[in-house]
Amino acid sequence: MSYGYTTDLAAIRAVVHRYAVRAGLSEPRAIDLVLAVSEVAANTVRHAQSPGSLNIWYDSNEIVCQIHDDGVITDPMAGRRRPAADAMGGHGLWIVYEVCDQVDMHSDETGTTIRLHMKLPGAQRRA
Amino acid sequence: MRGIPSGSGLWYNMGVDLLTVSVPARESAGEPYTLVEVAGEADVTNSDDLRRLLEAEIAQQPRTLIIDLSGLRFMDSSALHALLLVNRVMDRQGGVLALVSPQTAVARMLHLTTADRLIPVFQSVAEAAVG
Repeated sequence: MSYGYTTDLAAIRAVVHRYAVRAGLSEPRAIDLVLAVSEVAANTVRHAQSPGSLNIWYDSNEIVCQIHDDGVITDPMAGRRRPAADAMGGHGLWIVYEVCDQVDMHSDETGTTIRLHMKLPGAQRRA
Repeated sequence: MRGIPSGSGLWYNMGVDLLTVSVPARESAGEPYTLVEVAGEADVTNSDDLRRLLEAEIAQQPRTLIIDLSGLRFMDSSALHALLLVNRVMDRQGGVLALVSPQTAVARMLHLTTADRLIPVFQSVAEAAVG
């Protein structure tokens, strides 16, 4: 399923939670995925010039949320360093890396695509 | 954002009911603390409004500011930053900020960022008032 969004992040969060539960994520992990998607989509609200898109899919191993917008992330280490607890910024992407099992990020002059992966309970270990 | 008087306190509604903020008690001779209730979902689309409302309360120099989060279903990092900013200013003013009853997603955000080690979190307003 593909969802476009501008500033309606509450709707995006509801969609992600619904899919996460349907895919079989536990409630705490579903909340983590909602947190992560909301942080990425918040960057669209802050930086992008046009609407973002969210795609969600899952199989027996994992659920994936892919967020695309026309914003550009120039720092390849964005979100990889833990900010100070009282820092007034920089927590967003750091949380994304903290709660997701895998994060793929691709950014160039045409935009940014971020894939958030969460393993499902009982997923087969990959070789 | 609009402010609507309601009973003894104030009631604000931001972003089509996504977030509501009310102030049931303001510290004064008869009130030992300022109590702010935040309900709904706080994210990048309304965190500036949240911050401004909280700044207006701390500008009145309360010694104790209690923020009741029991009605808040979600908080993203930009809303967290509003709370961290308020905590910093309260600290500078010699006051204390306390948070009450965060729901699961909000408690998760406070824990992930270790903000719950900077700002005391209580189970009830009564507990927060005792400190």
